[in-house]
Amino acid sequence: MEYVSPEGLRLDGRRPKEVRQLKCELAVLHRADGSAYLEMGNTKVLATVYGPHEVSQRSQSLHDRALVHCEYSMATFSTGERRRRPKGDRRSVELSLVIRQSMEAAILTHLLPRTQIDIYVQVLQADGGTRAACINAATLALADAGVPMRDLVASCAAGYLNGTPLLDLNYVEDSAGGPDLTVALLPKAEKVTLLQMDSKLPLDTFEAVLGLAMDGCKAIAAHMRQALLEHTRKQAVVRGPVRL
Amino acid sequence: MYQQKQFFKKTRGGKILKVHREHYLRDDIVCGSLACTTCAHGDSTVLSSEAAQYLLIDTNVALHQMDLLENAAIADVIVPEVVLSEVQARNKAIHGRLRLLVADKSRRFFVFSNEHHKDTFVKTEKGEIVNDRNDRAIRRATTWYQSHLAGKTPDVLLLTNDADNARRARDEGAAAQTVYAYVQSRTDKPELLDFVARTGDTGGEAAGPSAEGDAGPQAKRRMLYAEHKGMAELTAGLQKGLFHQGKLRVNRFNCFEAYVGSQSVGKEILIQGREDLNRAVDGDVVAVELLPPEQWKGPEGGIFREHDEEEEGVAENAEEGAGLAPEIAEDAPGAALENLDIGKEGGRVPTGRVVGIIKRNWRNYAGSLEPMKGPGGSGAMAHPLFVSVDRRVPKIRIQTRQLANLADKRIIVAIDKWDRTSRYPEGHYIKTLGDIGDRATESELLLMENDINTRPFSQAVLNCLPPLPWSVSDADVAKPWRADLRNLRVCSVDPIGCRDIDDALHCTALPNGNFEIGVHIADVTNFVHPETPLDLEAADRGTSVYLVERRIDMLPKPLTEDICSLRADVDRLAFSVIWEMTPSADIVKSHYTKSIIRSSAALSYPEAQARMDDPHMSDPLTEDLRNLNRLAKIMRQRRTERGALTLASPEVKFEIDTETHNPLDVGMYQIREANQMIEEYMLLANVSVAEKILKHFPSCSLLRRHPVPTPQMFEPLLRTAAAVGIELDVGSSKALADSLDRAQGSDPYFNKLIRILATRCMTQAVYFCSGELSPPEYHHYGLASPLYTHFTSPIRRYADVVVHRLLAAALNLTPLPERTRDKKSMHDLSDGLNYRHRNAQMAGRASVELHTLIFFKDRAVDAEARIVKVRSNGFIVFVPKYGIEGPVYLTKKPDKGAGPDPNDDFVVDEEHQTITSKDKRQTYKVLDTVTVHIEVQEPQPHRPKLILTLASDSKEQDGFA
Amino acid sequence: MLQPEGPAPSLDEAAAKLAEAQAILQSSTASLPLVCLGDAIDLGADAEGGVMKGHGTMMAGEAQLQATVCGLVERVNKLVSVRALKGRYTAQVGDVVVGRVTEVAQKRWKMDVNGKQDAALLLASVNLPGGVQRRRTNVDELNMRELYQENDLISAEVQQINQGDGAVALHTRSAKYGKLQGGQLVTVAPYLIKRLKQHFVALAAPLDVGIILGCNGYVWIGSKDLVDAGGRDEDEGMEAAGPSGQVDLQLRERMCRVANAVRALAALGLPVHPPAIVEVCNLSGLLRVEIKDMLGPEFLAQVAYREADRRQAEGDAQPMDH
Repeated sequence: MEYVSPEGLRLDGRRPKEVRQLKCELAVLHRADGSAYLEMGNTKVLATVYGPHEVSQRSQSLHDRALVHCEYSMATFSTGERRRRPKGDRRSVELSLVIRQSMEAAILTHLLPRTQIDIYVQVLQADGGTRAACINAATLALADAGVPMRDLVASCAAGYLNGTPLLDLNYVEDSAGGPDLTVALLPKAEKVTLLQMDSKLPLDTFEAVLGLAMDGCKAIAAHMRQALLEHTRKQAVVRGPVRL
Repeated sequence: MYQQKQFFKKTRGGKILKVHREHYLRDDIVCGSLACTTCAHGDSTVLSSEAAQYLLIDTNVALHQMDLLENAAIADVIVPEVVLSEVQARNKAIHGRLRLLVADKSRRFFVFSNEHHKDTFVKTEKGEIVNDRNDRAIRRATTWYQSHLAGKTPDVLLLTNDADNARRARDEGAAAQTVYAYVQSRTDKPELLDFVARTGDTGGEAAGPSAEGDAGPQAKRRMLYAEHKGMAELTAGLQKGLFHQGKLRVNRFNCFEAYVGSQSVGKEILIQGREDLNRAVDGDVVAVELLPPEQWKGPEGGIFREHDEEEEGVAENAEEGAGLAPEIAEDAPGAALENLDIGKEGGRVPTGRVVGIIKRNWRNYAGSLEPMKGPGGSGAMAHPLFVSVDRRVPKIRIQTRQLANLADKRIIVAIDKWDRTSRYPEGHYIKTLGDIGDRATESELLLMENDINTRPFSQAVLNCLPPLPWSVSDADVAKPWRADLRNLRVCSVDPIGCRDIDDALHCTALPNGNFEIGVHIADVTNFVHPETPLDLEAADRGTSVYLVERRIDMLPKPLTEDICSLRADVDRLAFSVIWEMTPSADIVKSHYTKSIIRSSAALSYPEAQARMDDPHMSDPLTEDLRNLNRLAKIMRQRRTERGALTLASPEVKFEIDTETHNPLDVGMYQIREANQMIEEYMLLANVSVAEKILKHFPSCSLLRRHPVPTPQMFEPLLRTAAAVGIELDVGSSKALADSLDRAQGSDPYFNKLIRILATRCMTQAVYFCSGELSPPEYHHYGLASPLYTHFTSPIRRYADVVVHRLLAAALNLTPLPERTRDKKSMHDLSDGLNYRHRNAQMAGRASVELHTLIFFKDRAVDAEARIVKVRSNGFIVFVPKYGIEGPVYLTKKPDKGAGPDPNDDFVVDEEHQTITSKDKRQTYKVLDTVTVHIEVQEPQPHRPKLILTLASDSKEQDGFA
Repeated sequence: MLQPEGPAPSLDEAAAKLAEAQAILQSSTASLPLVCLGDAIDLGADAEGGVMKGHGTMMAGEAQLQATVCGLVERVNKLVSVRALKGRYTAQVGDVVVGRVTEVAQKRWKMDVNGKQDAALLLASVNLPGGVQRRRTNVDELNMRELYQENDLISAEVQQINQGDGAVALHTRSAKYGKLQGGQLVTVAPYLIKRLKQHFVALAAPLDVGIILGCNGYVWIGSKDLVDAGGRDEDEGMEAAGPSGQVDLQLRERMCRVANAVRALAALGLPVHPPAIVEVCNLSGLLRVEIKDMLGPEFLAQVAYREADRRQAEGDAQPMDH
């Protein structure tokens, strides 16, 4: 199948190096300490952060850093077929771990000893690249919660189809069976906190795809930064010229 | 940069899912016109600013008028993306051709991505069907162009054959014309009219060409065929088991008899007669309904069936002339049907009729026009019938204004449609190849029929060649992994006149009494790098094609004949396999390396043979050859013991006049010991390499296998052998080889004949990707080798190029190209190579056939022939000397209406494979020797045919009677 | 315990109006020293004097400060810090807080004060019944639950903060601190509470209720006696309830109006302080908005407009009060 036309357009009309339309909203849930809603095209994700708060199970408490807890889930209505998704299946356990690890790499956990941070990520609609979207949403929610972090964690997937590296695969491209590389990046330091790929790829191609994914991460990070700044500005302005 | 559009689709089997996809609309899509001042110009900006107008085509124009579009007179065409995707969904082949046109910048076809342009995207309205929506999108694109290019010279014309669509376009202010009207307006190119396809959906195009010369008004016309059932009905019928689906294969000798291999029936379904075939053409995927068993028939009298006389009084040109003897099972006409248990139940087989066509397999057909009665006035529209050289294809009615020009020409024609009312399919002319009977034209034709690419190499391909003159550079020598073997005494042995030398050998006696033997293969992959245009072209060509008088190269000439060719006394790069062997031909160790060699002699087979045979010669090279030969004989012996078959093929060799390229003489190809010696080392190299690459790449090695023939496939051979009292054991290749050795007749040729017949039972060996089959299936039956591949002819076979890359990767010299790692693309590659390989063989045989015909044109000879098959009204003979096989009729053609002449009655004894006349005076038995008279006759003008008749002195009385 | 709820999705029109009003509030172009996390902090000309990294910053390479939270950059001499606009309560010594007992432990109560960890209220930091200073005995320890038990709400003051792990210790060694009853708690984001001179505020009639603005974002609304007395009877605590444990209806309504005023302010993201609360209550009275409608988009929009007008009148350039 042709995923990139000779005119250079993908099935949905993007060019190979374009990410999908990105939309984010912050502080969408009032009860949570931080929350964010993120759309990457048709992939829609809600992330919620509680904490840092007292560790709920004292035995898990860490004396020198914060305990990060992450839970990933997919809504029953997130795919074309409505399906009840059991909690704790392999995929969601793996994804929870992946998100937690890439977040832990950014959170300054040593500043928050004996505390716990809960991150809940729910996929409301899945259209490829859920992994990346979850990580981005989690970053935004953490930033909203005022959790100190080294840097934003931006994530983006990239693939390789029809001999072309493609950025930010959607579901159709994702299910083409080509390689699918998800990268999470601390854009400032250009440090990779997550790199996942299941298929084999020649090294030179891999480097091209990785480079593209990293560029995508940076573009997404820039977008998220704008959204955060705007959100912060609104908050600050509304609260008025008052210093705590 | 983009906007978002989302829409809903419900699709996919069983469940209804809501598919939700994004659709981005862009503002950076260019119009592709050089006249435009607002859009950015780039590589794809092709539409000329000087053109009078740009043509914007709709889907049906692209689907049906491809031959017109391919004409060079049509340029500056805008293809909207929506058209391209509709074409892709409906006809892959046309889509490919359209893509080629777009890729050819000189043709100035431009794809306008209207579906993603923010101003030309149209949303499906409520209740609107897809076709209407797409038509609207096309019209929107047209009006957009019109306003976009307003005030500039070229305007835009929508080409559509849908009258309604054209009217709406005019209503919306866009210029629109039918194809026919447009072509008529092109007074500069009147011949374009011939290319206009006659399609059903011409709509209001009353002035169009649909009014046929020989047809009355549609209403009065008789329905000749049953209606094809609709897709929904077919699907339902197939599911219920009422219908059976399969690919239609028409008997090469009788275009009204066809078979459908159906999985649901488990047998082949016979379809007989024009009505039951119901407009299906060879290769179509059809749905068949079985007739009640009492109407079942047997295949008609084998191969000699006369066609139905046509009402027009034109006899079908189907009587079989003699042709070249087939080599293996799949080449033999109707081979598959002979495997059926004919003879039981009165020879009846499941018989059915075509009720619908699931997928058409129309392609372009080469052939000539049937002579027309009456003068074909020049310029007037005529509707002659076209007869394809492929006898499986029905005649095609075309229309032309240049009948006089085309009468004696080989032309190419495409089928457009086949209505129920029309006896023949309707088509249109595409191009002329040349005069009928002309050697060049006929060669061209046979190449075309076998889908062989004879175009010269493109500049992009030639750009991949190293600069000429090329020689081994110091950089090559300096590479640590390239062994310098120029000190070795290497020589090559090839057929006379061979210029693409891809293998050479050396043999050195070692101090320990062993021999070091090297096979050096041209290092083609040093020049053909993966994914370059050169590589892609070679992969597409797959193999060089050898015709009697010419060679169509896989790689450009400089590579084939110079840079890669391991010629004598020049340094060449090679890929070497080097073994150390004991004097009893046991391999002590083997070693693979890229190397530099310098061949000391490029010998021909006769030269090499002469050297070995001449006791006076004792130079080192000759000694090497003798050592090689001695070892080869031992290996050959071992191989035979393992069960390798010594098969035979009726190969012939022409002597060609160097001036006219006409054949001067023909004779059997002589096989010498030298040939066998070289073959042995090549086999050894191939097997060694196969083992090596499979060890490193168990899932993506390109290997070659030869499937074990099924017992049914041997049945004709066994029947024949049994008839002459010989028992063959086909239980294993070893048993077969042994029993073939035992099958000795009275004359020396007898054994060879049996071997030839045995070879015909075999299937073709095929390339495959190792990941697709389990190791036991890798087996090569003919060579009795568990593993085999092709490594030794990279200049002329692409498979070898791939294997070279695999071997180089196995040695860690170069990384394995991505495409070679991928199972799927390897599968496609091996399929493609098998197809090319087979076609190349077919073309080669067709070429020999053609030259045989030319050879016998001016001479009639008598020759000794052997009966290979007995039929109800004659037998088929094989003429070893010329490699010809063809029918000999014993009965005269029955006159129309008259009953068969009782004196001509012959009785066939199937079991003993004999045919005896009623009066018992004449008896012919299979494998008997007869003398036949060979001559060329022209039953119809321009249709020369090789006719075999029994020579007057008839049958020789030898021991088999 | 109700949280301020977002505008109920009722009338589209009202919602649109609210959005518009909010947009006006958010539209100020006043340049604020904002940073996003990960951004380098522009140290300006006096960077060479060396800087100290404060909260919300970290060193990124040599002499380069980087923000670790999104918020406002603050500088006090060489100390540069970034204050997040949202987040858990960060205690300061002397803060008045309202907390809830989560656990009764050895010699201490664990208190939820909306911080990163639970705060501790030591038995030693509590005035025992009887009011006299005396040694805590084992009996006292056994009777801790009689004083405060789980889920009790308590007002207290931050006594000290552990420098190492940030653990917070509270005390109630003043008559005004102690158990809270007969009122309601509203929790808002801590950053909405200004630090004031007086966190125990009695709102004048006609509201006539008392509020405790906990610095941690927990706001207690109860009877006026709470703040008036300046001390409470040891036994009774500060209760609005009569002897029967009942709070009379008028007082309950007044409390609810105040509580909803706090919620309305919080919903709009406006700072919660006594004048603002009073103003919202007055506005609701003026517009004859029922208590239950005070959180509807229509009224919220009115509040937002009023606030915007007020700001306009005062001018954005008003110096920050500290």
